[in-house]
Amino acid sequence: MTRKLLWAGVGAGLAALALTYVLLFSGLDFNYVIPKRLVRLGAMLIGGICIAWSAIAFQTLTNNRILTPAVMGYEAVYLLAQSLLVLVLGTQSLVLLGAGGNFALSVALMLVYSWLLHRWLFQDGHSNVYSLLLVGLVLTLVMGTFTQFVQFRTSPGEFSMLLGFTQASFNRAQPAQLLYAGAIVALVCAVGHRTLPTLDVLALGRESAISLGVDYRRAVRLQLVLISTLVAVSTSLLGPTAFMGIFVANTAYALARSMRHHVTLPLGCAIAVAIFIAAQLAVEHVFNYRTTVGILVNLVCGAYFLALVVRHRGAP
Amino acid sequence: MPLLRSGLLPLFALLCLASLLIGARQVAWLDILSLSDDAWLTLTASRLPRLAALVLTGVGLAVCGVVLQQILRNKFVEPATTGGLDAAKLGILVALTAAPGAGTTVRMLFALAFSLGASLLFIAIIRRVRARSTVLVPVIGLMYGGVLGAIAEFYAYQHNILQSMQGWLLGDFSRIVQGNYEILWLVLPVVALTYAYAHRFTMLGMGEGLATSLGLNYRATVLLGLLLVAVTVSATVITAGAIPFVGLVIPNLVALRHGDHLGRTLPVVALGGASLLLFCDILGRLVAYPYEVPIGLTAGGVGGLLFLGLIVWRRR
Repeated sequence: MTRKLLWAGVGAGLAALALTYVLLFSGLDFNYVIPKRLVRLGAMLIGGICIAWSAIAFQTLTNNRILTPAVMGYEAVYLLAQSLLVLVLGTQSLVLLGAGGNFALSVALMLVYSWLLHRWLFQDGHSNVYSLLLVGLVLTLVMGTFTQFVQFRTSPGEFSMLLGFTQASFNRAQPAQLLYAGAIVALVCAVGHRTLPTLDVLALGRESAISLGVDYRRAVRLQLVLISTLVAVSTSLLGPTAFMGIFVANTAYALARSMRHHVTLPLGCAIAVAIFIAAQLAVEHVFNYRTTVGILVNLVCGAYFLALVVRHRGAP
Repeated sequence: MPLLRSGLLPLFALLCLASLLIGARQVAWLDILSLSDDAWLTLTASRLPRLAALVLTGVGLAVCGVVLQQILRNKFVEPATTGGLDAAKLGILVALTAAPGAGTTVRMLFALAFSLGASLLFIAIIRRVRARSTVLVPVIGLMYGGVLGAIAEFYAYQHNILQSMQGWLLGDFSRIVQGNYEILWLVLPVVALTYAYAHRFTMLGMGEGLATSLGLNYRATVLLGLLLVAVTVSATVITAGAIPFVGLVIPNLVALRHGDHLGRTLPVVALGGASLLLFCDILGRLVAYPYEVPIGLTAGGVGGLLFLGLIVWRRR
């Protein structure tokens, strides 16, 4: 009973926040302001789900609380791939491949990356988390410099197009793209929803999962596919979000007081969406567009991440 | 002498020569002999200052890295992984907005103050985190730098200088001509002081207890070391911009071969830093000839890859 009440509360809170965002100072302008805001709201919804889901599932797989796909360089791979594509094929790449082809290519690349990462770094099972984190951070930096380098080689027109990719923003999403992304995320969630019990078992660790009858390698592979897809969607829709996933996942664990994924995952998604809406509200009405959501989120979540590591240093 | 055994001297000489010969402007070198104005001007106004700036920056950054590594007793720290670099950038930013008309000296002082303050704060954080896992310190440092960077971004966006900030804080030697790099000569006294105090810095690496019982004024020495580092970092950031990882990889590579006796290895470290920077600069000048790729990118790429190699190597 209390659980139902909790969900009702979360849902109502989120709905109220969304309504506030759409209607606040809109002047009930149904022609321009409100449709614009609805598109942004859609981007936040999809992006929030992607970030929360991928972060929590990734943390379950790696069995720790401070690694997320973003920190481990997934987003950097995406940006690097986009830059290389523009460098090699020019702006025609977008025409040539189409949005769908481009997306499929990115997901495939990220899958290869996650497979390599898994093979290299997790093979001994109990790798030092901080080592992984350091590798991830440095790798992100290195890939960032390569991306910048590629951007230097491109012509100004192409450069301006790429520049948009590297900063988190809700204004990029077009309604058609939203539809696309929404369909993919719905599909991933539908598949992912059926594997939630498996995910719960995976959280117990490799040996326990195997002895409980889970086909470990297959299950992990499936989860990696889902995670790569979600990260590709969120990065193409919003741009890089860095530390946001960690903040969301840890807040979800704290609030849920349970580690079962059918509680933590939806709660995490709700938190992520709420953060996005709150940040966007702050940008529009408090800071009056003198800052961006990406900067705000980086600032808050980065500081939180730092505090988390400092506090948890004994038991990661 | 490790310096002679390392075989760095001929390499360094070769790199210096290459650095003088390569450039967008073709110089008829025979004209130098006949004292032609044009060739002399290119040499004295652009090529020589650039060479001097490169060598000074390389030496300064590598020596900085060693000093920080002794103070924090960690092989993976340097200005980029302790927040010092980002703090210096923040300092310049504040100076630019608070006192727009001020000269280089004022900006330098701001950068110095911010860098020193950030280092002190970082050491306080690390002291609270007792578990001295080798990789945890750079992880915390990188995130600390990330938070400082986010603050800088927030601040820059508010003042509408985000775009220019990204451009001029990336390490770049192409702007260096006679008359605007002279502040870098400050590196020389810093290196001389470091050399004079090399034994004390070696003692710092033995830990507070042992160093104190050997008769070292621990606090004063740490403060001196941090001050030297802050001076170098702010001078290089002001003239050339941020160049990551040089201070990290060179001391590690040197220590692998020659050990940790600073009095003996410091010349090798200094020359190694200068050589790496010269190499990265030449690489950046040749990759997109006759245009230039900023050294921040080439050094970030080369240094980052070396850093990754070191992490993986240590894990074995």
